[in-house]
Amino acid sequence: MLKTAGWLFNIELVLLWRRSQEWLYPLGFFVIVITLFPLAFTPDPAFLQRYVPGGVWIAALLASLLSVETIFYADLEDGNLEQLLLSPLPLPLVMLIKLGALWVATQLPLILLTPLIGLLFHFTPQTIITLCISLLLGTPMLTLIGSLCVALTLGLRQQGTLLGLLILPLVTPVLIFGVNMVQQSQAGFSIAGALSFLAGLTAFTITLLPFALAATLRISMDD
Amino acid sequence: MDLCCDREQQRLFAHLSFEITAGNLLLIEGPNGVGKSTLLQLLAGLITPSSGEIHWQNIAIQQQRESYAREIHYIGHTNGIKLGLTVLENLQLASHLALASIASERLSETLSRLQLENQRTKLAKQLSAGQKRRLALARLLLFRKPLWILDEPLTSLDAATQAMVMQLLEAHVNDGGICVMSSHQSIPFKEIEIKTLRLTAC
Repeated sequence: MLKTAGWLFNIELVLLWRRSQEWLYPLGFFVIVITLFPLAFTPDPAFLQRYVPGGVWIAALLASLLSVETIFYADLEDGNLEQLLLSPLPLPLVMLIKLGALWVATQLPLILLTPLIGLLFHFTPQTIITLCISLLLGTPMLTLIGSLCVALTLGLRQQGTLLGLLILPLVTPVLIFGVNMVQQSQAGFSIAGALSFLAGLTAFTITLLPFALAATLRISMDD
Repeated sequence: MDLCCDREQQRLFAHLSFEITAGNLLLIEGPNGVGKSTLLQLLAGLITPSSGEIHWQNIAIQQQRESYAREIHYIGHTNGIKLGLTVLENLQLASHLALASIASERLSETLSRLQLENQRTKLAKQLSAGQKRRLALARLLLFRKPLWILDEPLTSLDAATQAMVMQLLEAHVNDGGICVMSSHQSIPFKEIEIKTLRLTAC
């Protein structure tokens, strides 16, 4: 089973790699949204240092919305979703593999790019590290919660706007603790509180959400 | 069993009841939109009936989802192949999803029987409609399962492949397997007896 899981993870990555728009568009979107901040407010370095980390978080949130939207679309069209539902493999495991691959392909590049953006906006090294840790812990939740909402609206026309309305209120805790962690570190306080909250939320979501997702998919297919 | 199904507030069929035993082929006939595909999806356990139950070896399929999944091949009207993967990768995906380990000779043999060996490294999206269908049907050859649920298996296949698929079905049924399929064409099976279920609009 472990070998199968590893193989499925690899093949999901291959599929995502071949459809480059899946990971390139969110990445481009992320960079562009961040560059809008100094244009819309002020290019003053002190301001940027203080407020752009929050902007990075909002950009990551919106980019995750963009990347998660099409997660089940191809599988629904080509009938692969039916084969996944009929596989003797546990569906929550299959979903965890699929989302893991999606996270690696769409969210990890954003986190890897964050230090570069930090340098561009004169962040201190400490801020960059804290920001990266908060994104590393927070973005899996964005992918998981987002995909649950996609599964809920599966097969609806024009689900894009509805998805935004569903997902954004649900992920506000992630944003609050993520940004809070960076603010604490900038103010010279300990980040332990926000960090453990975020880590706890992530652990909770990764363990339980795949089960909810699997159940939702079965119900959505059985409309 | 007494099967009844409603879709989108519309009754498709009601009071349907049938039994099928090893070594049988059930052909589901009926005009477009009468619910042939829905019935097959019900049998595969993808959707649940509005009322009634489906039993496999005297146990309701909803109660034995995992073991039932090991017993069936379901090929819907969408092929269930990934267009972004090559022919070979698609077969490997199918065998991994079925938790079956397939020797590479078996893969090559299957591909040559379906005349896909020259396409093995081609992406599935570059194949023609008939070739995609053949790739979907390759699952039947890859590993043995007692119950086949096939939705229009012969569409977009050429005459030679149709004959081959029919041979495959006859061999499966003669071997004690069960097949439930829908088809528009009348199928001239020679060696086996078939049961026919005609769905009518209600």
